[in-house]
Amino acid sequence: MALFSQTSQQGFQALLWKCHMFWPVSRCRQLFAASFSIPTREKINYFSFMTSSSTALPVDPKETDVLPTKKRSEIDCREGKEWDEESKEIPEGKFHFSSVGAAKKWSMNRIQSRHKFSNVQPPEKPLQAEEWSKLREDFQFPEIFEEVMLNSMIKCNSPIDVAKSLLTHLAKRNGDVAYNVLVKYLTLCVQQGQVSEIRDVYDIMKVRFKILESGAYNLLIKGLSNSDQWRMALTLLEEVKKIMIPSRTCYESCIKAASCHQEMKLAFELYSEMLAKGVVPTLDVLQSFFYFSRGMKDAELQKELFGILLYLRENQIYPHKTFMRNIKLWFESIPGGNWKGRLTKIKDSGQCPVCSHQLEESNLTEEEYSNLSERIIRDVIHGTDTFRKTSPKEFEAFQAFVESRLPFDIVIDGLNVSHIKSKKMQCENLFDAVNCLAKENARLLVLGRKHMLTNSSNWKREIMKEMQNKADFFFAENISEDDAFLLYATLRSGKHCKFVTRDFLRDHKACLSDSLTRHLFRKWQRGHQIVVFPSAEGKSMNFLPALRYDCVVQTTGDTWHIPYKDVFEEKFSFQVPKKWLCIQQK
Amino acid sequence: MQSANMLLRKIVRSPVLPFAAQHGMKKDLFPLSRTLSLSLCLKQDKSCEPSEKLDLDEWKKVMKSGLQEEVSETVSEPKELSSLAAARETLEMWRLAGRAVPEKISEEQLKTFMECPSKSAKKKYLKYLHLRELYKKNDKRKMDEKRQRKLEAQDQASETDETKKSSFVCLWSSTMDKAYNWRAAQSMIFGQPLVFDMSYEKEMSVREVANTVRQLVLSESCNRRSVDPFHIHFCNFKEDSLYQREFIKHYGEAWGRLLITVTDQCYTEIFPKDKLIYLTADSPKVMKTFDHDKIYIVGSMVDKSIKTGLSLARAKRLGLETAALPLEKYLLWSTGAKNLTLDQMMHILLTLKDTADWKKALEFVPRRKYRGFVNKPVKELKKTLDLINTLKLGKGREEVEKQFAKNYPKKYKLKQK
Repeated sequence: MALFSQTSQQGFQALLWKCHMFWPVSRCRQLFAASFSIPTREKINYFSFMTSSSTALPVDPKETDVLPTKKRSEIDCREGKEWDEESKEIPEGKFHFSSVGAAKKWSMNRIQSRHKFSNVQPPEKPLQAEEWSKLREDFQFPEIFEEVMLNSMIKCNSPIDVAKSLLTHLAKRNGDVAYNVLVKYLTLCVQQGQVSEIRDVYDIMKVRFKILESGAYNLLIKGLSNSDQWRMALTLLEEVKKIMIPSRTCYESCIKAASCHQEMKLAFELYSEMLAKGVVPTLDVLQSFFYFSRGMKDAELQKELFGILLYLRENQIYPHKTFMRNIKLWFESIPGGNWKGRLTKIKDSGQCPVCSHQLEESNLTEEEYSNLSERIIRDVIHGTDTFRKTSPKEFEAFQAFVESRLPFDIVIDGLNVSHIKSKKMQCENLFDAVNCLAKENARLLVLGRKHMLTNSSNWKREIMKEMQNKADFFFAENISEDDAFLLYATLRSGKHCKFVTRDFLRDHKACLSDSLTRHLFRKWQRGHQIVVFPSAEGKSMNFLPALRYDCVVQTTGDTWHIPYKDVFEEKFSFQVPKKWLCIQQK
Repeated sequence: MQSANMLLRKIVRSPVLPFAAQHGMKKDLFPLSRTLSLSLCLKQDKSCEPSEKLDLDEWKKVMKSGLQEEVSETVSEPKELSSLAAARETLEMWRLAGRAVPEKISEEQLKTFMECPSKSAKKKYLKYLHLRELYKKNDKRKMDEKRQRKLEAQDQASETDETKKSSFVCLWSSTMDKAYNWRAAQSMIFGQPLVFDMSYEKEMSVREVANTVRQLVLSESCNRRSVDPFHIHFCNFKEDSLYQREFIKHYGEAWGRLLITVTDQCYTEIFPKDKLIYLTADSPKVMKTFDHDKIYIVGSMVDKSIKTGLSLARAKRLGLETAALPLEKYLLWSTGAKNLTLDQMMHILLTLKDTADWKKALEFVPRRKYRGFVNKPVKELKKTLDLINTLKLGKGREEVEKQFAKNYPKKYKLKQK
């Protein structure tokens, strides 16, 4: 395992050298390609998990093997030798099994057990029927032999003729080829872009079965849309619509095919239909629109693409790097548009260094404020039962307390701040924070719990007394949630009020029932949360101020500012990208 | 109907096909291979053929030739399907594709399937049905085997026919039942009450309610079998509720004869408030000993998606005392939620009542959830571990010593270098 904890290329190289011992070279190359297909982050995480021995508890060796089966099997087919102690070599040398994960009670159920054979080596050349029969008889579970074989063919991307010879053997034996085998064969054809084969399989399926299921339709549409017979994929899509709502991959394939053949109008029709059906488009689809519209001069088209940018804005989606590049290139390719895009970082003041344009403020409107306050009270504080987070009496008392002392400038989550430095007493931490923030006559409110008032090793009464001269305090019951009060007090104080906590407030966001309000909540949080973090030795603490500008796609007509992420994978919803694309029209 | 049709087709096709296929094959292959192959060609198997000659598209022909008679059928059928029929067809296709889909599905289940709000919900529901079907099949198989064995045993017994004499008539189960019922009846008069709060129906899905009732049935039965049963109360029990329907499904006739108290009143109306203790995992207070004068309340709720603070909220609203089991104190917890099932709760409470031995009682906590029992409080252990680690690593040593000095009296003080 130590070999894997380094994700450097060298580690993989070394590993692949190891593989040379028992794999044909061609496969080795594929593996090399495949081994980088998983995002590195996942690898690091999961291997650090595997190699971590920091747990001081007695670790049962069996219990460290709680890897999801899928990953484990991935590893299986990559490493081959790593799990050798578990693998059984069949005298034939053709097959190489390895059991995956803990055998559950129902793992012998046919569907489950299919994942067990990840290392069956498909033959290199088409075999005769007799040879197939022989292989089948040597296999542990003859009844699922074909499936396992085809699965490994898909994995190794075997030549299509090998698969054909297997089907021929099947057809001779049973006089029929089962549907699941056909679908697997189809997967192989789609993988290799064998259009005529895909058509043949479709014809056979169509005659043989009244309707198909989503998996086959997905494959067919995907396979046909990548060919010159992409129109057929569209007719297939119509067919799917009769039975079910097509999946987003179906739409994706069709849209890409249409825009690839410069049928932008058609592509956008499909896109709007998709949105109308409530199917969420992938970023890939949105990206392809920009990619294929390069250099076109068409006012309608431009409007549509601006529409997509606004869609990103509405849903607070940040495009990743390649997507951003496609947007930039499209803008710059508009004939006579004179657009110029540059990458930049926005200053804290919210001014774009390239065009010195001031970005939008992240303030909500009055209406949005009252909406959000109401929803926080309704969903977060009361929820299904007021007693879950507080009690009606306590909440009323708190409301009265806040109303009598409004407005505050800064609301502090006392307990959260008090834990900043573990070496210091909790009340000292809080005292430092209050002192830092109490300058310039700011009105402070500190939220805490009643146990802070009892004199203990962490909460000294004198220090608490001194603090109460500088700020207003409200102590909730020990079993109440103080975070919800924090949100409420900040919102009630109005738009200038900020709050201080290190909490990401994810659980409170999750209490809000609709996505619109959740977006509103995030926007408000970005603009009003001050994050505290302990500074290096000696100094007291640092504050990360709230963002002055709103971090969304925005436009003024002749400029566009688009925040983007470096990597494709989803950032945590509370992190905002630092990098921006600034586009101006000269 | 559909599957029956397919079966028929298969039967019709199977004898015809190999024949047709072979003929077709010969037609294709003979003109080519006649000049090449000599007498060997007369053999049926083609193993002698060089592999380049292997006809790779033969399966298509087989498929298509077998379909000739079917094509006429499918064309004659109307293309438009009702939504239910379409769903049924789709399910059938999924089953063929090897997904976890039940073989038989009733109209009602199909409707439930159609009403599932999302694709993943549909998938989950189908998987659930599929697994249930598998369990049923397995049970049936086991029953059949058992019956077989019984018959064989009877045959053997009849051969060696001996009449055993004994002073007891063999009526074990019914006698046991009577004895248990006497005990339960006694507990109804003298036993310590144990309340199940049945007011969570609104917070649960239909399946969760079904699971709750199953757990309650288990709890009731293990209570009846114990040496000194509780007097079980189902409080806040509404007539015609989902709970009741589920109970009747389980108990049938016996529901009316159960030796427990079922009431729509709240526990606060029946018992004095100061005696009630609401057991909930969210409680800040930890139960130290089992009190025989108190009345414990257990919320009858299964929360698959953990609903934190629901039962604590109920207790807060009524101003009741709460308590949580001291799981942290006695067990080295490894994984899983600290909310236990109702029958586990029942076992634990019964054991506590009889023995007051926490270790014995907490053996009913599922073994996967903890690593072992703790004889010292976990906090102490952690301290020692930290100490050992820091001493080993030599990091932050002074700090540890300070901590150590704080926590322990002077005589243990480490030697200063």
